[in-house]
Amino acid sequence: MNDYEIALFKDKQMGFFIYLGVEAIMFATLFATYFIFTPAVKGPHPSDIFEWKSLLLSSFFLLSSSGTLILAEKGFTQGDKRKFLIGLGLTFIFALVFLGLEFSEFYRYVQEGYGISANTFLSAFYVLVGLHAAHVLFGACWMIVLFILYRKKTSTALYTEKLKIFSYYWHFVDVIWIFIIVLVYVPYLM
Amino acid sequence: MNIPFFGDLPSDVLVAWIFSVILGIIVSIFIIKKKKLPVIWEYIRTTNHRKIGTMYILFGVLFFIRAGIDALFIRTQLALPNNEFWVFQYEKYNEVFTTHGTMMIFFAAMPLLLGLMNVVIPLQIGARDLAFPFLNAVGFWLFLAGAIFFNLAFFFNTTPDVGWTGYAPLSTSEYTPGPSTDYYVFGVQISGLGTIFTALNLIVTIVRHRAPGMKLTRMPLFSWAALITSFLILIAFTVLAIGLYLLMFDRLFGTGFFSGDEGSPVFWQHLFWIFGHPEVYILALPAFGMFSDIIPTFAKKRIFGYPAMVISLALIGFLGFTVWSHHMFTVGLGPMANTFFAITTMLIAVPTGIKVFNWLFTIRGGVLRMTVPMLFSLGFIPSFVMGGVTGVMLSVSAADFQFHDSHFVVAHFHYVILASTILGIFAGLYYWYPKITGYMLDEKLGKWHFWLFLIGYHLTFFPMHISGLQGMPRRVYTYGADEGLTTLNFLSTIGAFLMGVSMLFVVWNLYKTHTKKEKVGNDPWNGRTLEWTVASPSPEHTFDPMPVVKEMDPFWYAKQENRELETTTKTRAAPIAINTIIPILMAFSLFVVAVGLTFTWYWLAIAGGVLLFSLFIIRSLTDERKDHYGKGVETNE
Repeated sequence: MNDYEIALFKDKQMGFFIYLGVEAIMFATLFATYFIFTPAVKGPHPSDIFEWKSLLLSSFFLLSSSGTLILAEKGFTQGDKRKFLIGLGLTFIFALVFLGLEFSEFYRYVQEGYGISANTFLSAFYVLVGLHAAHVLFGACWMIVLFILYRKKTSTALYTEKLKIFSYYWHFVDVIWIFIIVLVYVPYLM
Repeated sequence: MNIPFFGDLPSDVLVAWIFSVILGIIVSIFIIKKKKLPVIWEYIRTTNHRKIGTMYILFGVLFFIRAGIDALFIRTQLALPNNEFWVFQYEKYNEVFTTHGTMMIFFAAMPLLLGLMNVVIPLQIGARDLAFPFLNAVGFWLFLAGAIFFNLAFFFNTTPDVGWTGYAPLSTSEYTPGPSTDYYVFGVQISGLGTIFTALNLIVTIVRHRAPGMKLTRMPLFSWAALITSFLILIAFTVLAIGLYLLMFDRLFGTGFFSGDEGSPVFWQHLFWIFGHPEVYILALPAFGMFSDIIPTFAKKRIFGYPAMVISLALIGFLGFTVWSHHMFTVGLGPMANTFFAITTMLIAVPTGIKVFNWLFTIRGGVLRMTVPMLFSLGFIPSFVMGGVTGVMLSVSAADFQFHDSHFVVAHFHYVILASTILGIFAGLYYWYPKITGYMLDEKLGKWHFWLFLIGYHLTFFPMHISGLQGMPRRVYTYGADEGLTTLNFLSTIGAFLMGVSMLFVVWNLYKTHTKKEKVGNDPWNGRTLEWTVASPSPEHTFDPMPVVKEMDPFWYAKQENRELETTTKTRAAPIAINTIIPILMAFSLFVVAVGLTFTWYWLAIAGGVLLFSLFIIRSLTDERKDHYGKGVETNE
C-alpha cells in the first residue's frame, strides 16, 4: 500500500472500529435484557433446555474459524494462493456448519415447545443469539463476495483492505460468541 | 366520509390528501417548466457534503412546517375550554401530539442539525468532504425513507397515537393493534440508523481530516460540539435501536418484554430514556456550538474561555448519560435512585452555567453588530436560562411529583429545546446561508422573523408554567371553564400563532432572496474561521491549496495582520466523490422491508431484504476505490 491508500484505509479502519463499537453497545443492551428476564418467573428454566454437547460442537467450529481466517490472511500476505484459498474456504465451511448446528438447536427447542413466545427468558435468548446467528450468516455471504472479488481482478491494496475489514468483523462476531457462551449458556450448565 | 378503498376517512385526512395532491401537481409543473429534472437527478446521486446537507435542511424545514401546523392544531383545540375544533378531540388529539413530538425531534430538529453539520464541519476544519461520502448519502436517504414512512401513516388514517415516547404497554399490540404504532417503530428505526452512520462519519472526518496545523485545541467550537454530539448519538441511538427492535418483536412475533405478567413496561422506559435524555443534549450541544461561533464573529472578539467551553461540552455530554431516570421519578424506583438522579441532574446546571457566562463575557466589551444570527444568539441566552432554571426545579424529585405530566413540564422542555435547538438552527441558517446557496437572506425580514418568533415563543410557553402549576395535565385535549385556565391557554394560543406568522416571513424572505439573486462574496459576515475562505456557495472541490493553520480563528488573524493564509499543496488523501444511485435504492429497500413488516406481508419484507443484499454486493463489486488504488499487483494474476 502507498501513502494514499494507507490514508484511506486508516479512515475506513477507524470508521469500522466505531461501527463495531456500535455493535458492541447493541449486544450489550441485549445481554442486559437477557439478565433481566432470565430465569423467567414462569415457564421453562434455562437449565432444562441447554445442553453441553451442542454448545461445545458449535463453539468448536465457530472459534476455529477465527484461526482459519488468520491462516487465510497469512496466505494472502505471503502470496501463497493455496494457503489463502484453503483458509478462507475452511472459514466459510465452518461458518456454514455453525449455522447448521445453531439452526438444528433452535429447531429442537421449538419442537419441544420452547419457542420465542414461551416465556421472557426464551424471548431474550432468541433475540440475542438469533441476532448473533444473523451476523454469522451475513459474514458467510460476505465471504462469498470476497471469493468473487478474488477471482475478478482486484488490486492487492484494495483486496488487503477488504480482507482486513472482514477479519475485524469476523473476529468481533467470535468474541460476541464467547460472551454468549460465558454469559448465556455456562451459568445454567454448571 | 366514506371513500372507496380507503374506507372511512376523517375530514382532516381528506384535506391532507387534496392538499398534497394539488401541491404535488404544482411542484411537478414547476419542476418540468423550469427544467429542474436534471438538477434533481444530480442531487439524487450526489455524495457531496454541501448538497447532502442542503437536502437535509430542505426536508428538515418541510417537516418542521408540517409538525408546526400540528402544533397550531393543538393550540387551537386548547384555545378555549370545552372547545371542539375540527376533529382534534380524543384519539385525534393523541395522534396530533404524537405526530408533533415525533416529527419535531426526529424529522425536523435532527435533520436540520445534521444538515448544518454536513455543510459546515468540513469547511470549518479544512476537509474536502466527509470521510465517507457514500455513507453520508446512505445516512441522508435513510433519514428521508424513515420520515416518509412515518408520514404515510397519516394519509392512511393510521397515525400512531402512543406519544413520541411510545410507552409500553400502550405501544404493544395488545393495546394498539393494527399498523399505527408500527409506523412509529420502523420510521424511527430507519432514520435512526441513518443518524448513527452520519455520526460515525462525522467522527472520522473530524479526527482524521483536519487541515494541517488544525489541532483539536484550535478547532472551532461548532466542530467540537459536532464531535461530542456524534459520540452521544452512537450510544443513545444504538440503545434506541435495540429498544425498538425489542418492541418490534413484542408487536409482531409474540414476545412479551414490555407487557404481560412477565414483561416490564419500566424496562421500555429505561431503554427509551437512556436514549431520550442524551437526545436532548444531541439537540442542544450543536446549537451551543453554533452560538459559540456566531457570538465571537459579531462581537469581534475571540470566544471567552475556549478550554472551559470544550470541557463543559464534554462534561454535559458525559453527565447526559447519568440522568435518564429523572424522567421516571414517579415510577417508584425508590428514594436512593431518585436522589442519585436528582443530584446528577442538578450537576448538569454547572457546566451549562459556565457556558452561559462565557458567552456573556465574550459579548462584554465587544464591538457588537446586531445582525439576524446575532439577534437569535442573544435571544437564546436569557430564554435558555429560564428553561434551565425550571429544569433545576424539576430535578428536585420530591417536587417533581407535583410537576410531573403537567403543562409545567411542557413549558420546561419547550423552553430549553426551542431556545437552544430551534433558535440555534435559525441563527445557523441565517449565518451560513451564503455558504449553502451563495445568497444572503434579507436582514429586515429576518428581524421581523426573529422578533415575532421570540415574542410568540415566550407568549406561548410562559403561561404554561402557571397553567401547569394550577394542575393542567399534558396530553389531555380540553379543560373546564371553571378551572381558571382559560386566559392562560388563550394567551398560549395567540403566541403559537405569532410563531406561525413569523414563519411566513421566512417564506417571504426565501422568495425575495431567490428572486433578487444577489450573489455575495466568500466572506459576507467578516468571519473568523476557515469556511469563510472558500467561495459561496462552497464548490465541490475546496481548499486547493490547503491552508495551514497556526492559531485559533486563523482567517480572522490573517485579515487583521493583512496577510494571506499560509498554504500548502501537500495534503492527505481526499475522500473520493462519486455519483451513485445505490444509496437511495438502499434506503428504498429498507422502506420496502418496513412496509412488509408493518402489514405482515412477509414476502415483501424478504423481497426488500434481498434487494438490500443485492445492493451490498453491487456496491462491493463497483467500489469507487478500484479506480484509485494501485494498478501494480493484482489478485489472480
